[in-house]
Amino acid sequence: MTASDYLDLIIKSLLLAGIYAAMAVGMTVIYGVMKIVNLAHAGFLMLGAYFAYEVFNRFHLDPILGAVLALPAFFLFGVAIHWLLVRWLPHSSTPTLSSLLLTFGLWLVLQNVAYKWYGNEDYSISTPRTFSSIQFGQISVATVSLIVFAAAVVSLIVLQIIFNWSWFGRSMRSLIQNPYAAQIVGVDDQKTARLTFGLGTAFAGFAGALLAMLYSFNPDFGRPFLLRSFVIIVLGGLESVSGVAVGALVLALVETFSVQVLPASYQQAIAFALLVVVLVVMPKGIAGLWQRKLKVS
Amino acid sequence: MAPSGARRFGFLLPWALFLGLLLLPLGDPSANTVRLLFTTAVWIVSGIGWNLVGGLTGQVSFGFAVFYGLGAYVTALMINAGRSPYFAFLGGIAIAVLASFLVGMPTFRLRGPYFAIATIGVGEATRVIMNNLDITGGASGYRVVEKRAFNQIEHYYCAIVLMAIALVVSSLIVRSKFGLALRAIKQDEDAAAALGVNPFLSKLWIHAVGAALTGVAGGLYARYHAFIYPGDVFAFQTSIYILLIPVIGGIGTVWGPVLGGIIFGVVEEELVVKFPNFHLLLYGSILILIVLLEPDGLLGLLHRLRRLFRRKRDDSGGTEPDQVLWGRSRLEGREL
Amino acid sequence: MVSSSLHIRRWILSVLLIASFGIVTASAQNSIVVGVVMPTTGREAKPGLYQKEGIELAIKQINAKGGITVKGKKLQVKEVFYDDGSDSAKSASLCERVMSSDKATAVLGGYSTALGEAESVMPDRYKIPWITPGAAATSIFSRGYKYTFGALSPILLLGETTAEFLGSMVDQGKLKKGLKIALVVENTDHGADYVNGIQGWISKHPGYFTVVLNEKFELGGTDFSGLLQKVKTAHADIFLSDAHLQDYITMQRQYLQAGLHHQVVSYGARGPESDARKALGAGTDYILAALWWSDKLPYPQAKKFVDEYKAEYGRPPDSWYAAIAYDAMRILAQAIEAAGSTDGTAIRNALAKAQLKNSLVPGQVLKFGSNGQTDYPFLVTQNKPGDKVDIVYPKDAATGSPIVPRP
Repeated sequence: MTASDYLDLIIKSLLLAGIYAAMAVGMTVIYGVMKIVNLAHAGFLMLGAYFAYEVFNRFHLDPILGAVLALPAFFLFGVAIHWLLVRWLPHSSTPTLSSLLLTFGLWLVLQNVAYKWYGNEDYSISTPRTFSSIQFGQISVATVSLIVFAAAVVSLIVLQIIFNWSWFGRSMRSLIQNPYAAQIVGVDDQKTARLTFGLGTAFAGFAGALLAMLYSFNPDFGRPFLLRSFVIIVLGGLESVSGVAVGALVLALVETFSVQVLPASYQQAIAFALLVVVLVVMPKGIAGLWQRKLKVS
Repeated sequence: MAPSGARRFGFLLPWALFLGLLLLPLGDPSANTVRLLFTTAVWIVSGIGWNLVGGLTGQVSFGFAVFYGLGAYVTALMINAGRSPYFAFLGGIAIAVLASFLVGMPTFRLRGPYFAIATIGVGEATRVIMNNLDITGGASGYRVVEKRAFNQIEHYYCAIVLMAIALVVSSLIVRSKFGLALRAIKQDEDAAAALGVNPFLSKLWIHAVGAALTGVAGGLYARYHAFIYPGDVFAFQTSIYILLIPVIGGIGTVWGPVLGGIIFGVVEEELVVKFPNFHLLLYGSILILIVLLEPDGLLGLLHRLRRLFRRKRDDSGGTEPDQVLWGRSRLEGREL
Repeated sequence: MVSSSLHIRRWILSVLLIASFGIVTASAQNSIVVGVVMPTTGREAKPGLYQKEGIELAIKQINAKGGITVKGKKLQVKEVFYDDGSDSAKSASLCERVMSSDKATAVLGGYSTALGEAESVMPDRYKIPWITPGAAATSIFSRGYKYTFGALSPILLLGETTAEFLGSMVDQGKLKKGLKIALVVENTDHGADYVNGIQGWISKHPGYFTVVLNEKFELGGTDFSGLLQKVKTAHADIFLSDAHLQDYITMQRQYLQAGLHHQVVSYGARGPESDARKALGAGTDYILAALWWSDKLPYPQAKKFVDEYKAEYGRPPDSWYAAIAYDAMRILAQAIEAAGSTDGTAIRNALAKAQLKNSLVPGQVLKFGSNGQTDYPFLVTQNKPGDKVDIVYPKDAATGSPIVPRP
């Protein structure tokens, strides 16, 4: 491989990391605040993709606008789901079996409603922009990848602002760090949980809409991304948006480069293998490694 | 007289059913009926295997297809190598048990959902590897060529007997001290450890038993269908089915997987024929309803109905605590 | 208080209930039951639907003429259809069900290799003949099965024909000698046969081409970016893929997005499908495909079929799917008449000798080889701009000349 091929791969990894981060952040906040592993995240991603498709097809709006519209739409959807189903789950400081099964059931329902509505075929969004690419010397980058990357980065910055400088963000952070202490201090955990679930769902829908610009999709679309999201959470820890970004970057780099050396058919297993390795070797993720280092010093 | 008569009925009912199933071939059933019963029995055995690990011990695995598929492939390979099918089943069990240790040793150090998600990873990684393994045909699949002629009734008896064995094993474990230890682990692993249980070893052992049952179920499947491939036996969907069967039927109970398996084998077939793609929607909705309303699954529902009848009958006003309250079900460790 | 006799009655009832599960179903003998197991939902829904339509058109025409004559009686054909949802375990179970429960005289089924492989276990088990108009992998027919028949020529031949066509382009000077080929095939028997066909031809004709990349991908993936990255770094001149419809569309889209370009692009037996045209527009121009049939064939029976299909379903037949299924049903009807009975073994023997004389396939004769699979020649088509499709090989069936290399 030539030097420009390497550069090409690194650029691809960066672009990929952007969308991966946006995709994972939705699951991260829900897991951090509510200690719920939201398996329905895959379903929300998939619905976000179809949402963008419908917006594009019916109202002829650019998919980027569709993605932005997905944020409030899915926020409301997430709040509704929480009010309807999730709030009945038992509270716990560790994830429960019931939450796992409930979100899994929800994912099955979402997936199969989509099957009923749209069928099994792959759908995709094709705008004139879809096939264009920008040349940087020997490297060509698809225009949509750049746009998606930009959108993802902007959304992450916005989330970071919310996290650090708003009451809501502070409530979220306090619940992540210590739910009991947070309640003592006066954080309304029910309200925060509901808003968090809405926020997580909103980002899932947003990311799904962005992904729809890059890939074709069908109702089973969310599953590989679900696993990737979890890998990123484990890699990057729960404390911050930048942790998610780091985790996303690591995953994107590992995936992009390992595909060059492994047979292509192993591509799907890479995220899984990384997940198992990381869970077994460092259950607290890279952030945990940092914590340990800081404690020692 | 009435309670003991009813209890005797309840105790002997399984034996009567078993006798009925054994005698079934005498009635010259259609090949389709035998096929349905065979499929149901195979699902039930897998469900019982999962239930011991996920229901009794609380270790929810989304990757049991690994053992199902390994049992299927090992059995298939051994039959093609000329071995007797029963020996091949044992081979499938052996490899599945070995795999359960390989999977369990790193993953059982994880708690709760970390373990569950790790099992998803293991399951999918296994599928991808098997897809690329040329010795077993890779993604194209592997065909089983048996020298004997196909005798559907023989397959049927294998499945029925296996189901009976699985039920016996399951109820023995549930009633034993080991079963008690497992339930303690499910409720609170650290407390159980403080009381002298070794959670890690116990989890490994029950994992082995669950894997053995699921593995031999896979072996039976492979021998009957004569064609297996990774996208079928190692699929995430297969893991889901194996999980859904006990959860819908009644997680943690001995007979829950039987109910769930019947729904899967018989009802699913009819549903699939008339409304393709509807069945997963149904299962998802049932799962949500179960988690929210009746965590003990169908069996819990039946128990509730029975208690309703009994209360109506002798008007003694049940002293059982209401199970609508959250956290009071088998899902969270309580006993029925 | 419940008496003990009630208990005894309960037990006997339960035992009997279970044991009485076995009810023998009687079969009606005033129609011939033909089982059809095709995917009309799932990944292979479109091709499966087209094949179902082809079969049903044939059945309709046969019944309109009175049906099939068996032992002097004219029997109508009754179709029992099951949708296997593109799932092979279901496909096998439904095939078994239609043979054992619905008492089918014969079964047509198995679109795509995976479904066909799964179903092919059942025919010999139940001694009921099975014809697949949609599965072409040789492995199905190399196991010594007696009751399996395939109406599609082997994929091996497909690969060889593609390579042969490219070789002829070199001979005509349109392509240079020694070009590099990137092979990207699906991880199935279909893909493996394709690679063997291509490489077999190349090794018999040294100097024409070299293969610089040979990769397999999983069916139904949504992201081929890593794979296409490898294709990019291989710096090949020719891109040959073997994929099913969905993957073809997905991969071609990502191919275009990655800004790739090769002198020749082909996706095995996919190319002119209208779904691809709709999804990718001009992105499918100049793609070559090696097909089992095309509606551009100049035979009168082909034109008649196209008109009848259009009249029945309101649209022209899409690619080869319906036509082959149509002929599979016709040869089955012919064989049943020749056998003069609905016994599976008799029909099987008749199928082994059957020849459908005014067949739609290239060569106009459909017959089965000794292993059950047919072997009529392939056509190579090319998509031309403006939604046109031309047959470009072999010369005597060509309707247009190939534009190679791609502009």
